[in-house]
Amino acid sequence: MTVKFAAASALALIVGLGGAAKAENAPENTAILDTYADIAEAGYGDSLALARQVQAAVEALIATPSAEALTAARSAWLAARVPYQQTEVYRFGNPVVDDWEGKVNAWPLDEGLIDYVDSSYGGPSDENGFATLNVIATPEFSLSGQAVDATEITPALLSDTLHEADGIEANVATGYHAIEFLLWGQDLNGHGHGHGAGARPWTDYAQDEACTNGNCDRRAAYLKAATDLLVSDLDWMAAQWAEGGAARTALMDNPDAGLSAILTGMGSLSYGEQAGERMRLGLMLNDPEEEHDCFSDNTHNSHYYDGLGIRNVYVGQYVRADGSIVAGPSLSDLVAATDPALDAEMKGKLADTLIALGRIKTAAEAGFAYDRMLERGNAGGEALIMGGVDALIDQTRTIERVVATLGLDQIEFEGSDSLDNPGAVFQ
Amino acid sequence: MRRALVLVAALWAGTAAAEAPVAAIVEGHVLPGFTRLAEASATLDATADDHCAPEDPALRAAWGAAFDAWIAVSHLRFGPTETGDRAFALAFWPDSRGATPKALAGLIAARDPVVETAEGFATVSIAARGFHALEFLIYDPAFTGDDAAAYRCALVQAMAGDIARIAADILTDWRADYAERMRDAGGNDTYRTPDEAAQELFKAVSTGLQFTSDTRLGRPLGTFDKPRPTRAEAWRSGRSLRHVVMSLDGTRDLALMLAEGHPEAAAALDAAYGRAFAIARDLDDPVFAGVETPEGRFQVEILQQAVDAIRRVVAQDLGPTLGVAAGFNALDGD
Repeated sequence: MTVKFAAASALALIVGLGGAAKAENAPENTAILDTYADIAEAGYGDSLALARQVQAAVEALIATPSAEALTAARSAWLAARVPYQQTEVYRFGNPVVDDWEGKVNAWPLDEGLIDYVDSSYGGPSDENGFATLNVIATPEFSLSGQAVDATEITPALLSDTLHEADGIEANVATGYHAIEFLLWGQDLNGHGHGHGAGARPWTDYAQDEACTNGNCDRRAAYLKAATDLLVSDLDWMAAQWAEGGAARTALMDNPDAGLSAILTGMGSLSYGEQAGERMRLGLMLNDPEEEHDCFSDNTHNSHYYDGLGIRNVYVGQYVRADGSIVAGPSLSDLVAATDPALDAEMKGKLADTLIALGRIKTAAEAGFAYDRMLERGNAGGEALIMGGVDALIDQTRTIERVVATLGLDQIEFEGSDSLDNPGAVFQ
Repeated sequence: MRRALVLVAALWAGTAAAEAPVAAIVEGHVLPGFTRLAEASATLDATADDHCAPEDPALRAAWGAAFDAWIAVSHLRFGPTETGDRAFALAFWPDSRGATPKALAGLIAARDPVVETAEGFATVSIAARGFHALEFLIYDPAFTGDDAAAYRCALVQAMAGDIARIAADILTDWRADYAERMRDAGGNDTYRTPDEAAQELFKAVSTGLQFTSDTRLGRPLGTFDKPRPTRAEAWRSGRSLRHVVMSLDGTRDLALMLAEGHPEAAAALDAAYGRAFAIARDLDDPVFAGVETPEGRFQVEILQQAVDAIRRVVAQDLGPTLGVAAGFNALDGD
């Protein structure tokens, strides 16, 4: 995969009930935000717990490499994605999450930075001179004129030196997708029928003459470092949402702005990010590498759990990895107290989206892989994906209506880099 | 890219919102713009029938005129442009992963017969369709050699025909249906209230300006340590600055129509746009190649700041006047 451009700014909304009278049965804003923060704490807590299981499975794979151990690590990774994807709705409304997210879930990536790739991958691109660095095979190299000693592969090397090397976002050295690549390898099936995931052999981790593709010790070290880093990053984020944590506190400091954080996250993830960048663009480019979880062929789940996460924060309910439920007063309750028809519409649209995303998931699990859905001229796949896109766009319209109904009284202008220094800007 | 909160502006003026002249805007801005696009695209299609060689001046001129017409309406990304893959297929850019040259090289290497029918070509990746892909074929030396000239001719003609069909379809939908939906805002489910139609038009202004600042200018600027001149829009044909100016023209026209009857907002808009146009006029750097030097970079940054100043006027003066806010747009996300 290669570079993706990132839009630098977005206009986000702040809603507030300010001086407006509140319906009698409406929950307090702070109660809604408590639920929202509790769901975040539980979601990142579950993500952490399941990442620890990935860590244990990776350690077992490295200690005793085998096909079974690799399969176990892959299964643990797939499970770990379920709670994590549901937290993506927290990204766009919460700076604490947004500033951190690139470390754990950056995508797409030029995987040739990390390990060997097929010759069809190409060389360094116009956009990225490090697209084929292959640090696993390259203990010493130079980066922006500085010599880098990578003889020891450590979490610090990954996070401080390699990640976004040369200022290029596609140089993703850490997080779920780097680990995914190390567990599955490149997806070289293209739109090939049947199994569409990467097929990395377990012997890539064999620590004796069975080692395939060279540098198995360094590959194991990389996988371990990336997994350890994921655990520590999730541990940090879970703490931000605990009582007294920075993310929870920031939310509670301004309850009106907090409500807007919920809606901003819902709308930005629905429209620009998921419907646009992740689903529609890949479809229109007919490019299997545009799959969000292309190495593991898990894109259908990635989309589905993103959609579920959006619903979670509106209705104030989250099913934890152990089956217990976190629930409380919600934005839905507030909208229902103000405009019951609008609340019903919002819930209906969120359900429609889950049905549409569920169709993609169902077809994929029955063998119609997501990368085949993207194929040129594949009408069935196009209809499935566009069903999800249309539902997400449609629910965004209703999210905007919720914003309007709750009463817009401020607008927050999120700026591009050039606006980071407001003093330099002409008035 | 991680984002930073920059400024928070209290906006709500507490006054009753003004009704935007939606019908006048549809008649005076939207329909004429898409009519020009359809006409220029039809001319491009007809021209390509007889002029498909890359250097052919008639082909280049027709392509440039149609591209101009697109840029002038490229902020109107709602309704008919968003049906199917229309607007994406007309102008797939930015192309941060090099999908366009890759897709074109694939078609040419395979002499892919998909170019033979309009229906077939409509299934091709958006990266190999539209104005930007056509620019590669007529301006990039990698695609203009003698090799495969006959196939490239067919590809040029397929692209021109595809552009013309999409432009015609957009205009047809506007005339047959969408213009009335906007005029009739409050009486249909697309726009349940006049405010929703006004918000759509307001979002077109603010999103169009955001795209010009962040993408048309922000991409080539890159960072101080790593400027990216080859990320400028349509640099192969020397059109990067031209697109900034033409897109500003388009949003200015719409913004001033939205501000009708509100002389203070209109004056503030006029002044902010005037500053940006003056800076653009003095900028002797059609493809922003100067971003690699401190002085050249400064000039482009000044222009970007002037566009951002317009954005603030739009958000702080025009929005409250209309009683609408930005809402969500396709540039949200990362």
